[in-house]
Amino acid sequence: MPNLHKNPRACIFLLLSLLLLLCTSLFGQTDTSASQGVSGVRSTHILGLEGVKRNLRGTLTVQPGGLDFTASGAHGTIAIASIQDVFTAQDSRQTGGKALTVLKMGVPYGGGRVVSLFSHEKLDSLTIEYRDANGGLHGVVFTMPLGQATVLKKQLVDLGVHVSIPVASQPEKPDAGGTKQ
Amino acid sequence: MKSNRTFISATLVRIGGPALLLCVFCLGISARGFAEEKPQPTTSPWAIQVEPIQAEEGQLPPDFSMATYENLVTQLVKTDKFQEVFRSGDHQTDGVPNLLVLHMTLLNFERGSQTKRAVTTVGGATKVKVHLKVTTRDGNAVLEKDVQGTVRIFGENLKATDDLAKDIAKTLSEASLPAPAKGAGQ
Repeated sequence: MPNLHKNPRACIFLLLSLLLLLCTSLFGQTDTSASQGVSGVRSTHILGLEGVKRNLRGTLTVQPGGLDFTASGAHGTIAIASIQDVFTAQDSRQTGGKALTVLKMGVPYGGGRVVSLFSHEKLDSLTIEYRDANGGLHGVVFTMPLGQATVLKKQLVDLGVHVSIPVASQPEKPDAGGTKQ
Repeated sequence: MKSNRTFISATLVRIGGPALLLCVFCLGISARGFAEEKPQPTTSPWAIQVEPIQAEEGQLPPDFSMATYENLVTQLVKTDKFQEVFRSGDHQTDGVPNLLVLHMTLLNFERGSQTKRAVTTVGGATKVKVHLKVTTRDGNAVLEKDVQGTVRIFGENLKATDDLAKDIAKTLSEASLPAPAKGAGQ
């Protein structure tokens, strides 16, 4: 057992690491309210939706008229008839955003790297291809908690949306190890 | 003697403060002027239509493909190089005489891992490499180049598509495009 009060640096390092791990666990908690089924899925708009800012968090809902994304001060809809294809995939990312990244950089002795090992989460991505009134192709990407993208895709298929890859047979590859294709 | 020193230091403080402010103000103005002198890209007489990346099935995840396409449309609009930027399948291109079509073919895709990047710094990079081909409406190639987008240390995997789109837009912005032939594509 190392004598911590004789080595203040080690003590500070341990305290910082513990603090970061605590932050990580708080940031990394999955929002259980996300699993709301038909009523709406908490998701992040990555890009593509007209009039909606990138990386905006909101609620994605499948309605008879189309796919509806609502966030504070922003709203976007994709009509069912205009959707060309729907894809789902899995990815993983570091939690905590820029704040935790900066904090991790400040931890001495590479402690931030250790924290990075635990501060990641898997998520689903939902990609939708649709055409506007002029026939122009658009792509929209959303991310959401694991398992939710397939639910939304099923709901869209039930409403008559054409998909090139059926819901059950779509391969979902997480990026855990990194793949070369 | 002592009062002289106090007077001098007080005067320095009195003058120094406003002088420093003036210097900062002048520097700001000159920096702004310098920024304004930056050469603006000349708008070419061409319009451009962006086609999504062509890849064999399963080679490129659809979110990467669509993110590249959307980022590219945004970046091309920002360059101000083209009269108009059209999306794939847009019927409005029928009436556009000087139209270039941007085709991309996937050469290599390597999906990395943000966790690996954060832990190792040197590993886990995500790379997307495409062959870029710009043609006129009748199929004559105007520009061909290989471009790669990468995310090496910070950022999610999809950031590689943003990097790729910026590189493609820069390539097109700096390219000297030929003058359109009279009556071409009409």
